Amino acid sequence: MEEIKKTESKSWYNKWYKILFAIPIIIMVLSLIYLGIFYSKHNDFMYRDVSLSGGTTITLNGNVDSAEFESSLKQNFPDVAFRKLTDLRTGEPIALMVESSSAPEELKPAVEKILGYNLTSDNSSVEFTGATLSQGFYKQLIYALIASFILMSIVIFVMFRTFVPSAAVIFAAFGDIVMALAAVDYLGIKLSAAGIAAFLMLIGYSVDTDILLTTRALKKKQGTLNERIYGAFKTGILMTGTALAAVIPVLFLMGSLPDSFKQIFLILALGLFADILNTWLTNAGIIKWYCDKKGID
Amino acid sequence: MVKLTIRIWILIIILVLSLLVIKPNFESGLIIKSVDSNSTAFEAGLRSGQVIKSIDSQEIKSMEDFSKALAQFPTKEKTKLIITTKEATYTLFTNETPKITVGQIPSTNLKFGLDIAGGSRALIKPEGELSTPELNDLIAVTTERLNVYGLTDIIIRPTSDLSGNTYMLIEIAGANPSELEELVAKQGKFEAKIGNETVFVGGKKDIASVCRNDASCSGIESCYAVQGGELCRFRFVVHLSEDAAKRHADITSKLGVNTTEEGRYLDQKLDLYLDDKLVDSLFISEELKGRVTTQIQIQGSGTGASREDAFNAAQKSMQKLQTVLITGSLPYKLEIAKLDTISPSLGKEFTTNILVLALVVFAAVSIVLFVKYRKIKITSAVILTMFSEAFITLGIAALIKWNLDAPSIAGIIAGMGTGVNDQIVIIDESVSTDLSSLKERIKRAFFIIVGAFFTIIAAMLPLFWAGAGLLRGFALTTIISVSVGILVTRPAFADILKKIQQS
Repeated sequence: MEEIKKTESKSWYNKWYKILFAIPIIIMVLSLIYLGIFYSKHNDFMYRDVSLSGGTTITLNGNVDSAEFESSLKQNFPDVAFRKLTDLRTGEPIALMVESSSAPEELKPAVEKILGYNLTSDNSSVEFTGATLSQGFYKQLIYALIASFILMSIVIFVMFRTFVPSAAVIFAAFGDIVMALAAVDYLGIKLSAAGIAAFLMLIGYSVDTDILLTTRALKKKQGTLNERIYGAFKTGILMTGTALAAVIPVLFLMGSLPDSFKQIFLILALGLFADILNTWLTNAGIIKWYCDKKGID
Repeated sequence: MVKLTIRIWILIIILVLSLLVIKPNFESGLIIKSVDSNSTAFEAGLRSGQVIKSIDSQEIKSMEDFSKALAQFPTKEKTKLIITTKEATYTLFTNETPKITVGQIPSTNLKFGLDIAGGSRALIKPEGELSTPELNDLIAVTTERLNVYGLTDIIIRPTSDLSGNTYMLIEIAGANPSELEELVAKQGKFEAKIGNETVFVGGKKDIASVCRNDASCSGIESCYAVQGGELCRFRFVVHLSEDAAKRHADITSKLGVNTTEEGRYLDQKLDLYLDDKLVDSLFISEELKGRVTTQIQIQGSGTGASREDAFNAAQKSMQKLQTVLITGSLPYKLEIAKLDTISPSLGKEFTTNILVLALVVFAAVSIVLFVKYRKIKITSAVILTMFSEAFITLGIAALIKWNLDAPSIAGIIAGMGTGVNDQIVIIDESVSTDLSSLKERIKRAFFIIVGAFFTIIAAMLPLFWAGAGLLRGFALTTIISVSVGILVTRPAFADILKKIQQS
């Protein structure tokens, strides 16, 4: 019985892997098109928060009556944006974040006037990033992202020393970034410096399963290729599964965590989802095709 | 008794060392952070660093206890207040709140970043390019200025970014001085002029000493109502250097004398400028004309809606003036590139939430692994290793006195994630049914693990330089955590797994 099932699944994969391969490719192309349209609209690949575009964030502690406050502040600062932080257990608002591209000297008095009290370090936090610095930051983080990708690629090439399998790993990592970024843009998330740092981590993190797959497929001697890929899949999906199990709770606690935390974990979660597709459909497809061509079984 | 391998012993020893470095502290009470040197509390003998145990025999455990114990102030009559510290008991007679600041005793040697502990951070960009010695000069003057102002728990260091811009990074943990912006970004050029001639400027060349924290020669002189509020005047004495005193004599000798109702004064005033803005104009009494005098009284004022506001404003501007007189002006024009003042109260909430989160992560990972392997021993070995990794990383952070900010902690959690991944690879290789030897299978597992290790290091490395190093913590904790994993916990885990399978 077992044997028959195995042979069936084997032939099933032989027949379908090229079709399966097409799924992530289509999603990747759609993501790239989406990013292209996004770029032509916003002249940038992402929305940036004030730490990367310049401006002020004021965090007001406590439960601020937001509706009235927001509408009166909007009259003077049209670009102002608000976010609420909530208590983990009760769900009560614990703070209100006010973001604007204006300088603190302008924003702070306006906020004080509406609230009717002075802002001190006991009742609020003020963060300001100058426009030149944030531009510089942004540029450098993008360079860092590219450098990170190149360094990762070098490590992969040194490890496997063959072009197609290495390129497959790198291509899968590229797919993770593109899909995660498209999702972040689609969700309308304004990225902070920590958010871009999360993409760097995604580069390093997501290739784990690709390395596993490639090693098992090329370096292991026992079993057929399909069995080896399936074995790697069982291990790899558990890896990604536990990682997601660790990351997903964070998404439910979003309102109660520091902003940098939220961004890092949200991006890792999106990237890991994308990684399931890119490793087990894209990368596995390329490896399968490569081994068939080379006569590795 | 199971015999432990050397790798497991190494793990245990490093865990114990980490515990010693982190050094949890369970002492109760509040630690004194500062004592105003002009206060009765100071006279009574209270000093910073002492641990308050009780006030008027009420036990002090929290900030709430502290403010409750002092809620009676200000009182009309002077009352007796008994403050017991760990070492001794102090008795003060006072009618106002003792001028001390207190804080919780740090419960561990771990230091938390601004986004969690609260505090201020400024990234200052000098105009034009500075050489390293020039930047060090700037840092020395700024450090002195902040120290003179009364801030001691500060970190100031030069930092630069990939485009070659240099910055001065200032971090003040747990405090948000309201004058920070002025202290660090204004040049603080003090000039005392008569007419167009400069008599003296701030700094060591002209100023021999400045009287402060001594009520006999420095303090608030008087307060009175003015239009729209209150005004308080301060005064303090400075001692000029001989050169400056001679200059004063030369300039005043040329002046005439005016007779007013209040007395006879020279016909020009001594104008005090701070950053080219007139702070105050002082009459010069007749007897100072042409005299080499080294002692000069500086005056100024502060205003506010209430008397208290005016008093505080006057005190602040006096402190600022004293600071720039002592330290002199900063040698360069500066621009604030980033200024964050983070309230400590929100950070507390975050800390609890992050701890809850860590527990949820542990639970979620345990459940997934248990569902998959159905073996308590394997699951607990993974969880224990995961915990060890995070704990050792925290130990290293405490050892190098790293300020753990939110991204650093995220890095530790992500590092734990890669750790679990690696352990799954080891488990699956070791239980795999294929025919190659266990040694060969473990070797293959380590090939994957080492590959994953180098890719994550390669990916995080650029963050050490990008963005003036503000995200260095994220990269650092991730790298420490995966390195601890590959050097310490992973080898130990492989051995533990072998033991489990043998038994």
